[in-house]
This record gives sequence, structure tokens and C-alpha cells, in this order.
Amino acid sequence: MSASAHATPMVRPRVESASVPNEVQSTTDDAPVNAVNATPKKKEPPPEKPEHIRLRILVISSWWAIIMFLGLPVWWYTTTIYRASLPLDEMRDWADGRVCRPVFPLRISIEADSLQDHESQHLLRTTQHALDDLNDFSAHHLRLQLSPPTNASVSANGISVEGGDEEVALKIRLLPGTETKIDLQAYSPILDVYYTPNQIPSSSSSSSSLATSIANKLRELFAEEQAMIAYLLSTSSAPPERSPKALAPEVTDSLAKWTTRSMKYSRTYHLTFSLFTPTAVPSSWDIEAALEEHMKPLLDSFSSISNFTIDTQVQLYATPGVSGSVLKKADLSGFINAAEWPLSPSIGGAPTVNFIVYVGDMEVEGGGKSWLIPQWGGVVIQSDITDLRPAMLIFSNQLMSLLGAPETGSLPLRLLTLIRVRSAGLLLKASGTMGSLARLSDALRSISIPKSVADGVYTTIEHLNQACEGLGGKEGLENARIAEEAAEKAFFEKSMVGQVYFPDEHKIAVYMPLLGPVGVPLVMGVLKEFKAWRKRRMGGV
Amino acid sequence: MKLSSFLQLPIVLASLLASSPVVAEHTSNWAVLVSTSRFWFNYRHLANVLSLYRTVKRLGIPDSQIILMLPDDMACNPRNAFPGTVYSNADRAVDLYGDNIEVDYRGYEVTVENFIRLLTDRVGEEMPRSKRLLTDDRSNILVYMTGHGGNEFLKFQDAEEISAFDLADAFEQMWEKKRYHEILFMIDTCQANTMYSKFYSPNIIATGSSEIDQSSYSHHADNDVGVAVIDRYTYYNLDFLETQVREPSSKQTLSDLFNSYDESKIHSHPGVRWDLFPGGEQAGRERLVMDFFGNVQNVEVDSVGNATEFEEDLLALGRKIAEIKERADAQEKDLKNVSSPEPALTSSHSRRKIRAAKVQADDKSWGKTAVGVWALAGCSMVWWFGSHMESK
Repeated sequence: MSASAHATPMVRPRVESASVPNEVQSTTDDAPVNAVNATPKKKEPPPEKPEHIRLRILVISSWWAIIMFLGLPVWWYTTTIYRASLPLDEMRDWADGRVCRPVFPLRISIEADSLQDHESQHLLRTTQHALDDLNDFSAHHLRLQLSPPTNASVSANGISVEGGDEEVALKIRLLPGTETKIDLQAYSPILDVYYTPNQIPSSSSSSSSLATSIANKLRELFAEEQAMIAYLLSTSSAPPERSPKALAPEVTDSLAKWTTRSMKYSRTYHLTFSLFTPTAVPSSWDIEAALEEHMKPLLDSFSSISNFTIDTQVQLYATPGVSGSVLKKADLSGFINAAEWPLSPSIGGAPTVNFIVYVGDMEVEGGGKSWLIPQWGGVVIQSDITDLRPAMLIFSNQLMSLLGAPETGSLPLRLLTLIRVRSAGLLLKASGTMGSLARLSDALRSISIPKSVADGVYTTIEHLNQACEGLGGKEGLENARIAEEAAEKAFFEKSMVGQVYFPDEHKIAVYMPLLGPVGVPLVMGVLKEFKAWRKRRMGGV
Repeated sequence: MKLSSFLQLPIVLASLLASSPVVAEHTSNWAVLVSTSRFWFNYRHLANVLSLYRTVKRLGIPDSQIILMLPDDMACNPRNAFPGTVYSNADRAVDLYGDNIEVDYRGYEVTVENFIRLLTDRVGEEMPRSKRLLTDDRSNILVYMTGHGGNEFLKFQDAEEISAFDLADAFEQMWEKKRYHEILFMIDTCQANTMYSKFYSPNIIATGSSEIDQSSYSHHADNDVGVAVIDRYTYYNLDFLETQVREPSSKQTLSDLFNSYDESKIHSHPGVRWDLFPGGEQAGRERLVMDFFGNVQNVEVDSVGNATEFEEDLLALGRKIAEIKERADAQEKDLKNVSSPEPALTSSHSRRKIRAAKVQADDKSWGKTAVGVWALAGCSMVWWFGSHMESK
């Protein structure tokens, strides 16, 4: 109560004091009103001296000069987005397959020491004819050549995988025998052809049964590879007339499955071998020896394509995501207990391939005890782990599938095929990335493109060119790999974040506080000065 | 299914493949779950996200393929009457925090920039794999976002916002680089449907909780926690997922999910966008819920029988090959010792590595310095000029 009683008198004087100046002002206002009444016209200020006018113009123009020559450039420089120039047309050409036409001329050398020179020449010609008749896919053709006889001694040992300068995909050895037989050597890419003396084609005949059977065998050997490459090309954005014969739907299905299954190519893969057991036993397994014995040789033979790092783990009391003694096929992907099993692939930078041995005696409907999870790994259920050999054999087979190796042929041939297929895949992928980058830089004008991206693009194109020339061999793979890496790096450049879309109203909101106070006096100053100048001129004239 | 058996068949069928794209299946599932709001009274947004996290994990997506973004830590908030826990229901039956949760982006790491970087994978070398979206053209992605939003924007942490354009551009970049197979985009915020209105990349199904000029509401509050614990739209989604999609083999479709939305219960009009999806609404409705919320792959069971023989061969071959290779390598080495070419490539590689040890080399620092000096000089010139004029 007392506070409010005090408050009212304190307010009152303030109100009074505020009203006093108003009265004072109103009295002072009266005087000019009277003055206006006294004189009919408003009194002009005294005329300005010319130097004052000049000074004022100087002041205004100096401010304008600062804005124009300092402010604007600074603003321009600090707000422009740096966009390195990219060879956009070239990039698009690569993406559309106009630059490089992936051609795989596979060289197949024929070693025919037992034949006369003209006989072997003739055989080569007829076989080549037969091959060309069978082949309808120009990007992948087989070229026969006679191998120089000096190589004979070396290749007899089965060592010469790369004879001569050019890499040879397959070597055919013609051997005299008692019956016609064609044998693919298991350990090296050599095809042994046994022929009976009466099969040697006479120089007059244009075809021979020997030539036809060799051609058929060759075609059979390379059919899968051809289909793979044809499939890769058809799924890429290459011009349609380039993509070959249409594949049969079954083949397409099978190849679609192949692409689904196989991991993306990487120089290094990380293999994790895990033992999961539902109880406390077994708590150890002899994995090291098993890997050394069964896995190492296979991994070594892959060394020209990919490297591998390996780690292993044992997990006790692990319950699978699906229980029961018979597992349904539909449930199998839930078998991996992703929530609890430590299978996190965050080790290093390489993609992880998981191989799991689960201790138990359940089986899949139909009796299988192992399965492959596409692009992820494999699972084997085994009740006794004293012998890891069966599991390792299954794993090595699964690894071949996961890495994308073809299903048929001898191991050396499969590896060589894998090299070619992988280089084609990488080449197409890097070209595709070039196209993506070109489209992206067109579509997102507000994204910055640092110089490193341009460098990456040039590196990619350079190596793509080299890869395109040397397709088929290890060089080609290496170049394709470098190109792909550079392309990825350019595309995923860290500073190229096309963030922050600014709507126009946002821009106005940002510039208004600046442009208002600065811009208004500047513009008004110019306008006033211009008016005054015009008035002076009119008055002067 | 051996390929070779087909290849022997006469290959006659023509013109099927080149034009018609093969219907490819997905091989992995990823989930990006984002809450964008901070502070205690936004408890429900974190609860939304954590409930969904729990659901996708239950349905089989491993932690390594879930990116969880939580801007605040409700479990450890001093105002939390139940320390260490987060509940999305007043019955407090399920503790969403539990003891097995992996938050990938936390606190102030949840920014628009980091979110865009995550989607486009434009991250530095130092970023661990667990915080990256390592998807490819065979990955289905579930993107779930919740927070406070408005017409064509979603607020991040009360500090910045992501616009529908930014999000659309990010998805376009993902599509350009073949970083997804299909995306299901879900968003629970006010005027949520505006957020997906700007998308233009294919293979996206988008759904949101409310139309333009419409609010999304919370479902109910827990009086002991003291704040609302879940939003309506998310609540009814979870209701469906928990009661209808009980195990990974569920065959419920997206149609079932979207038909389960009851506008009188959600109190807003949820929208679905089908036009980006190949085949439109019809094809999209047939997609299984598990295609996005679970992790189902088409496994290949190895046949029994004659497989082992083949594998034995393989092993023997491998060993032999290795042996041969060793010999060949030794030969090659002898050859190379005479003249050793091509160390150029590796050396440039290692040189670059050393440079990378520096945190960030700013090669434009001289330019920046020059600009700064010029600005300072300009200012002082102006000042000097002004005082000169005055003294005149």
C-alpha cells in the first residue's frame, strides 16, 4: 500500500516536467509562423560559395569511389564461389562411351612344334575363320597367333604365363597323339590339343574338323567371360549399337545374380573369420593353421588383383537370430544376429568379407549347412570344429564367388578373366563418375569446385586413356584402378558441399541492414546534388 | 544354377536386354535416423528417433548400418526423473536407451552441414567408417527425420535450418553417384509434406506427417517425466510396426502401413509421394515394409552333394598356382634387378601421405592476407583523407 502511495506522487512531477517543454516549444513555434505571415516568401539561405559546392561534390564522389573501387571488389571477391574449370565435354564423352570403345583382343598363341610351318599357318587361318564365324560380339574377340618356337622349352614347364611382350590369354599346345583329345591344364592357362596325324588339314581344304573343334572349345572356354563383359557394357550407358547381341534371359538372370553377389572391387579386402558358439565350448580353434594351409594359397594367387588382410575372433554364448533345428531359407538372412554379434566392419578402410562358423547341428531345409550372403560373406554350420578343412574349402569357394570370379574354367583362366572383367568394370565406373561430376557441376551452380577436383579429373582421364589402350592385361587393371580412385576422390571432394540453398528473401534479409543505412545517404546525396546542379543551371541560363 | 549350361543354348532371343532395365534386388539396408531438436521440452523428438532405432534394429539392420543423430542427451538431462533412460510411452515399459545403443552423431555434431556431408559422403579421411553412409547402388535407405519445421524447412538445433531444396539436391547427388537403390523418406514435423515436395531424384518414396499450414501434434505426455514423450504420427507408425511386423519374415507392404494411418487419430493429414518411384503408386504400394525397415537378403544356400570335390580341386589348384607364381616372381625379380623401373608412382604416393599429416593446408593464405592488408590500408587512407580535408 505504502509503495503505491509513494509511487503516484513520483509519477506526477515527471508528467508535469514532460509537458513543460511542449509548452515552451509551442510558444517558440509561434514566432516563425508570425514571421511567415510577415514576409510573403520563404527566406532563402545565403548562396553557397562555389568552393563549398565543389567540396561537397568531392566528398560524395570520394565515398562513391570507395564503394565502387574498394567495397564492390571486396564484396565480389569474398562472395564468389571458386569453380575450377573442368573439361566437361570430355567428361561427358567418357561417360557416354564415345571416347573409349572397350575392346578385349585376347591373344591366344598356338604352339605347334610338331607341325610344318605351312601346316600350322594353315591351321591357324582355318581356326581363326571358324572362330570369327562363331563370334558375334566385336568387343571381345580371340586372336590366334603362332608362338615363336624359342618359348617352347619354357612353356613346357608351365611357367610362362606371360610369354613375350604381349600378354597371352591362353596357350594352345598341339601334340601328336593317338586320338583327338582337348585338355585344359589345371595349373596354368594352357590348352593341350592331341591330334591324330590324319587330322592335319591339307592346304587345299578350307575347313577341318581339328580347327572346328579347337574353335568350339575356345568359344566354350570364353563364353562366360564374353557374357560378363557384354552384360557390363549393356548395363552401362554406352551407346546401344555398341552393346552386343542380346543375351538370353536366363543368362541375364544369372549375370544379374553375379553382380548382386559380388563385392565392389577394392585393392584390399578385409577377411574376418569368426567362430560363434552358443555355449562356453569350444573356446578356441585352430584357425591359424587352417588359414595357412587352405586359405593362403588361394589368396596368394589373387595377389595381382587384390590384397587381403585377415583377422579372426571367437564369441561364446552367441545366440543366432533364428532358432530351431531346421532353418527355413527365408529366415536365413535373419540368422546373423546383427544386434549382438560384433561384426562391425569399421576396421581400417577396406570392405570386410565375413566368414562365420557357427557351432551347432541345425541345417537348412533341404540339407545344406552353408550359405552365402551376397556382398557380405558366408556362413557354415558345423558341429565339430576339430577339422576346419571342409569349412575352409567352402569359404574359399564362397570367396571366389564374392570376388566376382566366373564359375567355369580352370583357376588360372578364371583369374585372368577376373582381371579383364574387373578392369572393364572399373573403366566403366570411373567413366560414369566423370559423367556424374559433369552433370553435377552443371546442375548445382552454387557448389564450389576446388582445384584439386580439376586435378583429379585430369588424372582420371589420363589413366582412363591408358587403361583403354591396355585393356585386358594387368597394366589395364592398374590404370583403371588409379583412374577409378582419382575419380572417386574428385567426386567426393570434401569441400564440395552444396549446402545452404539461399532463397532470395534470405539474401535480402541479409543485405538489408547493410544496404539501408549505407545506401540511402549515398543515393540521396547524389540525388540532392544532381537536383541542386540542375537548379543552378536553369537559374544560370 | 550354372551359367555354362545356358551358354550352350542357341542364343537367339533379341532386343530384350538393351532397353529394359533388369529388376535388381537390394543387398543391404541402411537407416539414417535424425532428430534435429535440442532441449528438454523436445524430449519427444529424441524418443521418436530412439523408438524407430529400436524397431529397425529389432528387424535386423545392424548398428554399423544405422546412422543415429541425437542432438541432445535426454537420458542424462538433470531434469530427467528417470536418469539414464528414455521412454516413448507413459507406461514406461521399454527403456529406449537400454544398454546397447550406438549414437553416431551427438550434440553439436548434429548440424545441417554434417547431415549433408553424411548423405553425399563428402567427408575427410579422418571420418571413421561407422559414421559414414557407405551405401552403393544396391542399398535401400530409410531416412527418418523429426524436429521442428515449417514451410520447406526443418530446424536444426534452434540455430540453423535445412531447406527442402538442400535435401533434394543431396538426394540428387546420391542418385548421381549411385549411392542408393531405393529410399523411403519419412518425416514427422509441422508442415512435413513440404519437405519432400522439392525432391526430383528417382526411386524415392516420401511420406510426411502433415500438410502445408498444418501442425503435427504430440501424442501424450508422461506426467512423471513432465513432457510429451512421443509424436502422433510416429506413434501410429510404431504401433503398426510393433503389432503387424513382428518378425523379419513379415510380408506386410507399404500399402498396409500407409493404410493404417487414421487421420482422426493423427490429427493431421499425412501425405505420401509416389511419383518419383518407377511404376508409381502401384509398384510402390507393393514394396514390403521389410525392404526398408529390415535387412533381408536373398541368401544362396550351397548345394550339398558334389560340391566338395570341386572345392578340393580348387584348393589344390590354388596351392599349385601359388607355387608357380612364386617361381615366376623370382624370375621376374632377377630380371628387374638389372633395371628397376617404375618407382615413380609409389614415391609420389608416399610424399602425399606426409603432406596429409598436416591438419589442413590452406594454400590461399597469402591471398587472404593480402586482402586483409588492403582492407586495413584502405580504411586508414579514408581516415587520413578525411582528417586532411578537415584540417584544410
